[in-house]
Amino acid sequence: MNGLLPRHKRDPYWLLLPTVALLAVFFFYPLVDAVRLSLHEWDLLTEPRYVGLGNYRALIESGELWHALVTTLTFSVVVVAGSMLLGLGLALALNRDTAFAAFVRGAVFSAYVISWVSVALLWLWVLDSDAGALTAILRSVGLPTKNWLGDPNIALYSLAGVTIWKIAGYSMVLFLAGLQDIPRALYEAAALDGAGKFARFWNVTWPLLRPTTAFVATTSLIVSFQVFDVVRVMTQGGPVKSTTVFVYAIYEQVFLNLRVGRASALVVVFFGLLLVLTALQLYAWRKKGAT
Amino acid sequence: MTRLTRRHFGLGCAAATLGCARSSVPAGRKSATLWFTYGGRNRKVLEELVLRFNESQRDYFVVSVFQGDYFEGLAKLRTAIAAKAGPTFSHVVGEVVPYLAEAGVLEPLDGYPGAGELGVIESLGQSGSWISGADRPLVCLPFNRSTPIAYVNATLFGRKGLRPPKTWAELLQVAKALTEREGDRTTQFGFGCPIDWWFWTALVGQAGGKVIEDDGRPSLGDQAGVEAIELWKRMVHQDRSMKPPPGRDYNAWEQTNQDFLSGRTAMIWTSTAFLKYLEDNAPFPVLAAPLPAGRKRAVPTGGTHWVMLKSAPAEEKQVAWEFLRFMHLPAQAMHWATSTGYMPVTRGAVEQLKQDGYYEKHPNDRVAVEQLSVALAWPWSTELFRIQREIVQPRLEQAVLGGQDARDVIASARALAKRAAP
Repeated sequence: MNGLLPRHKRDPYWLLLPTVALLAVFFFYPLVDAVRLSLHEWDLLTEPRYVGLGNYRALIESGELWHALVTTLTFSVVVVAGSMLLGLGLALALNRDTAFAAFVRGAVFSAYVISWVSVALLWLWVLDSDAGALTAILRSVGLPTKNWLGDPNIALYSLAGVTIWKIAGYSMVLFLAGLQDIPRALYEAAALDGAGKFARFWNVTWPLLRPTTAFVATTSLIVSFQVFDVVRVMTQGGPVKSTTVFVYAIYEQVFLNLRVGRASALVVVFFGLLLVLTALQLYAWRKKGAT
Repeated sequence: MTRLTRRHFGLGCAAATLGCARSSVPAGRKSATLWFTYGGRNRKVLEELVLRFNESQRDYFVVSVFQGDYFEGLAKLRTAIAAKAGPTFSHVVGEVVPYLAEAGVLEPLDGYPGAGELGVIESLGQSGSWISGADRPLVCLPFNRSTPIAYVNATLFGRKGLRPPKTWAELLQVAKALTEREGDRTTQFGFGCPIDWWFWTALVGQAGGKVIEDDGRPSLGDQAGVEAIELWKRMVHQDRSMKPPPGRDYNAWEQTNQDFLSGRTAMIWTSTAFLKYLEDNAPFPVLAAPLPAGRKRAVPTGGTHWVMLKSAPAEEKQVAWEFLRFMHLPAQAMHWATSTGYMPVTRGAVEQLKQDGYYEKHPNDRVAVEQLSVALAWPWSTELFRIQREIVQPRLEQAVLGGQDARDVIASARALAKRAAP
């Protein structure tokens, strides 16, 4: 075992140095600077002016912070639930050894590897309220249509739908891997005990898929919090700010409103929110691990 | 043989990088960098003009670099200024000129040779685009200047024997007459217009108001501001004759164009900048018309102005100035205007076009030029673009798309604007 010990006590730290340096330059320094800038009013051109907590106060008083928070969380809940359900459903339906299933698996996953901007442009056409493919299909079967991107009550869910469509293929692949890891013997034993299809799913598949589900939930949560491209291309945060999620609000403040301080304040709050969510998730996992 | 050291390698890389960056500048010429923010046809025309300048003489050379849309370009410009890596000159939307000027980053142009003899049309240059613009140091020159105009699908209008509306009352009637429905579904809208600050300011002016009063008070038009929103609300919700396009900013503008080109909207309001694009791509004859009058006629001007950065080296500024002078010569100003739809910015260019009989052959091009007689001047305000983006624009959407009361929306916007105004 002694062979694994470092020759000098300091050696492991040298090995850690590149990672620490990268993190320091690209993560810790920007974060500390964001905290500093959030206490200033700055437009990048004139001298920054210290305003204390003025940026946070302005964001709270204007309702922008709360609005971005609610919009982002609503979007995330819909995307996480939707991508998990669709991914699981597709995985269960396509978990078979036929050429057709393989083709459909490939087709569904292909959406995941297309760039976000291409997906957004494609769906911009599909969701056009007059001439879009979705509108045409609904009309042809006599169903009512909506102004998918122009109605403030619907636009966020339309974007969530596009995001689910894009990432469901990834969830499906993860669930497929999880399904194929479940030993066949367990199903055979359950069948011998008289378990039906639903009972086998509920008592064998679902409990054994739990780690996969947790992973899918985490990755889709990250994707949903980072959403930007579809908003930028499809709605630009509108109509009536109904799709102004956190990352877009930050972009809007710094690049369109020229308010670096307020953008930084949003960054700090967003960071805090992610920190709390991560802590909760770690706590939940550890607790599960302990039991 | 000398051994290749890391130092040699590094120097080689640096030289290669510099070589690539500067390779397009011919030896012995002074150069300047221009950051521009057009895509499509306008980019092609500008690049043609840059090429024309570079080939017209042997002393100067302009390197043009595309930087995305107006807002992306502005963001990059500010970041580059902060990093002391800005270009020599660029062009920016009028709303931010006072902000950049007051931040002290724009080069005053009065002292450059021939600055007073460019023959700029007053309402398009600094002196007429801003209230008291002539009393300040000259920091910008007009480039792609525009006003909103009405575009009419002549086939649809002709079928119903209608002519472009000249008043708000006619606008309501014509839009209704051209709206067609199948059951509950609207198959053709009479009117389309982005729910955007620019068109709202046109309506405010037409209703007899001012967005910012002469004493600097942001009234947002008071009653005129309310009437402007109520006109849109009526057309969108009551008459259902107007289609508000989805998306914001230029995406909404593009959608408006597409609705017009596909025949889904019979008449739209958009920038004169799209004149050639719409004429070339519409499968029907396009007729341009001035905006109608409310209590009076009024239009804002828009588009961008050339600005030079104070931080640029003097030699580069000299090149940029020569290019700007070149662009103001009738040949270039005419080429730019007739190829794009933007307005010719000098008196010389307009006179030449008249003499050449251009406006007889292209009556649509005359609309925006003639409309300049009712152009509104903007206040010289560093906060105007924030009042626009943060306060008014979202509330216009709240009122027209979200159904909020126009009076409440203007009152809350005015209260916030008063706090924002310096």
